[in-house]
Amino acid sequence: MTGDPVDLWELLLAFARLGLISFGGTNVAEIERALVLQHGWIDARTLANGFALGQLMPGPNMLAVTHYGYAAAGLPGALAATLGFYGPTALLSAGAVLVWQRHSAQPWVVAFRNALLPFGGGVILAGALVLARTSVTSWPAALLAALAFGLLWRTRVNSALVVLGAAAVGAWLGL
Amino acid sequence: MTRAHPAAPEDDPPTTPALSPTPLALARMFVGVALAGIGGGLPAHTRRALTSRGWMTDENFAETFTLAQLTPGPNAVNLAAMVGARLGGRTGAVASTLGVLTPGLIAMLAVSALTLGRPGGLPPALESALHGAACAALAVLLTAALPVVRVGWGVRGGPAVTVLAFLALGVWRLDLLPVLLVLVGAGLLIHRPRGGGRP
Repeated sequence: MTGDPVDLWELLLAFARLGLISFGGTNVAEIERALVLQHGWIDARTLANGFALGQLMPGPNMLAVTHYGYAAAGLPGALAATLGFYGPTALLSAGAVLVWQRHSAQPWVVAFRNALLPFGGGVILAGALVLARTSVTSWPAALLAALAFGLLWRTRVNSALVVLGAAAVGAWLGL
Repeated sequence: MTRAHPAAPEDDPPTTPALSPTPLALARMFVGVALAGIGGGLPAHTRRALTSRGWMTDENFAETFTLAQLTPGPNAVNLAAMVGARLGGRTGAVASTLGVLTPGLIAMLAVSALTLGRPGGLPPALESALHGAACAALAVLLTAALPVVRVGWGVRGGPAVTVLAFLALGVWRLDLLPVLLVLVGAGLLIHRPRGGGRP
């Protein structure tokens, strides 16, 4: 993207932070704010493309971070981004489950869950808005997104198939 | 997402099934889960893989899944780490996390090298295809978002917190951490346990 070499350590830390503050799913809004607006490592187009590719990959959907790391600093960047994004949260989770088995009836745990759930809803909606700004740039694109949503919401079809189909439609329309 | 009150006595060791899987077996299981879970639904695949092998009861899985929702980070990977930790301790957690990540990591590296490594950008047809895919990916995100929003909406004070978080992060583009502290702090105040529990 930019001509300057990216500091891998800084990249790893930035992705570790993004992993640790994404609650209840994907936090696209904050990822865009950090990677595009703050560091300038990737552009909005790469953000949207990587997110779409992540939907097609086997495994977790946020493998988009691997794509972003690659765009920022090649293979080392991809590995640093993946390790940073997934490593700390996985360690924390493994620790949490072992602690949980001892303290599951704590009232504060229930309170924390009730405080966190509505916040998670707002986070995920904000991410949808950020993606829509880059992807829904025309009436055909809006229609395609609406069609995909209808299919996914109403039928049990595999979402990777819907994404692939939309890619074919996009190529055919020249979006 | 209501948790049954655990009736198990606390002095028991955590219930482990008769056969405890090796880290390698866990890694292999999660590679399979990742390959089956193209386009999402990883938790469902994880549950099926675990219960069919008899490694975890449905109740233990539901509890682990709820907990994975509460920890920061990507849920599907956290779930793998938690399942691994429960069944195989530290090594199990590492093996499960690597297992669920590896297939997608290799695929994504290959695709990234192909799409980003080209001088002069992408061919227009591929650019259009990716644009179409991005529209559908947005739809995928929305279908995942609505159940989350619905659950949060039902909590006392939930709608206000959801709308404020959406405006703060999506429209005003504020930094996440202060927004999180203010809104989750407010939520904790609303839902603080009654009757003692003072630290």
